[in-house]
Amino acid sequence: MGDLRSLADLSDEERTAAEALLFRLADDEFVLAERYTEWQVIAPTLESDLALSNIAQDELGHARVWYDALNRIGHTEQSLVWERDPGSFRHSTLVELPFEEGDWADAIVRSYLYDVAEDLRLDAVAESGVHELVDPIEKLRSEEEYHLQHAQQWLERLCDDADGLDHVQDATDRLFEHALTLWVPGPEAAAIEEYGLRGDSLASMRRQWLDTVGSFLESLGVTMPLDPEDDPADHRPAAVGRDGSHTDHWPRLHDDLTETYRELDRSDVRRLRGESA
Amino acid sequence: MSGGVPDEGVTEPGPDEEPTPCAYTEYRDGDSESDRTYPATGADADGVEARVWAAIRDVEDPEMPVSVVDLGLIYGVTVADGVATIEMTLTYTGCPARSMLTGDIERAAEGVEGVERADIDLVWSPEWTLEMVTDDGEQALREFGVSI
Repeated sequence: MGDLRSLADLSDEERTAAEALLFRLADDEFVLAERYTEWQVIAPTLESDLALSNIAQDELGHARVWYDALNRIGHTEQSLVWERDPGSFRHSTLVELPFEEGDWADAIVRSYLYDVAEDLRLDAVAESGVHELVDPIEKLRSEEEYHLQHAQQWLERLCDDADGLDHVQDATDRLFEHALTLWVPGPEAAAIEEYGLRGDSLASMRRQWLDTVGSFLESLGVTMPLDPEDDPADHRPAAVGRDGSHTDHWPRLHDDLTETYRELDRSDVRRLRGESA
Repeated sequence: MSGGVPDEGVTEPGPDEEPTPCAYTEYRDGDSESDRTYPATGADADGVEARVWAAIRDVEDPEMPVSVVDLGLIYGVTVADGVATIEMTLTYTGCPARSMLTGDIERAAEGVEGVERADIDLVWSPEWTLEMVTDDGEQALREFGVSI
């Protein structure tokens, strides 16, 4: 692993870049987990309920790992999640979209596109030389491994059937441009690269990701929404997430997931119990 | 994973040397990762650090009646100026019992004479695996009905 520096030892400029990288990682995992939980009791089999719930739990665990790192440089859970302006979240729009109602293929395609990206991204972060970024990588990777297996096996099963293949094609067509935002640079991208926090460039990882997901999906009979000679930048949605621009679905989801927190804040439990009288 | 879990008896005993029952190197600041072996059990600790190890040995996993030390979750204990720092991990990142476990461990350490405050340093490397479970932990898990 070589000598690692901790976040506290970085220069202010380096720390700002590392912080931006952590927000991308944490927000992606957190919002994806929130969406997965919507499937918790409506997946097509009890086994699938359990599998997707478990994957959601893993992703929440990973969000907690990256938010923990941000806690070390002055953030708190309140400021990171519950009281943060939805416009300052940096996740890809792929993870915030609602699922097409009852469309299991949507959950599976999304999981597949995300998990292939996650694999490449963890490799790159492992090269950062920063303790808080490197320390969890192997643990996360071992937990991620079966996510990808789960998605691949379901894709094979779905595409073995004409209706299933149609659903996978529709989900791929709908989600693909949003999945490309996984690789869109944020405002700190140049600094992240300059300080060596990412072992591979976003453009290079996007190329590898396109090769991997393209060859697998095509092997199942899915037509890729963009041609190999297309510029992926031409296939970007209006909102890309990485710069704080989001689809209209995100503020609604954020409102939902922070509702209990806000409700609690509004009621003074001690006064209700008469303890402060 | 860097290093991985070393086989038992990392240090080969010489021909005239009795093998030590627990071959591991206690972690100290400045040691490289490769100097550490797992599971850490505090067998070589003394003074207040030994007392902290003994105290946190009483903390059990909420799902299984097995000590967190025997599960191999505790990677190191240091005490300086009344502050105990407990380096530990969890079996998985999404562990829902994290606050309960870290709270129990902090309180156990803070009950030790010579410790005013306990801090948890939660780490993920090396990755926890079943290889981290001690022999006593394996025995306890078997008695509980978990095959290991």
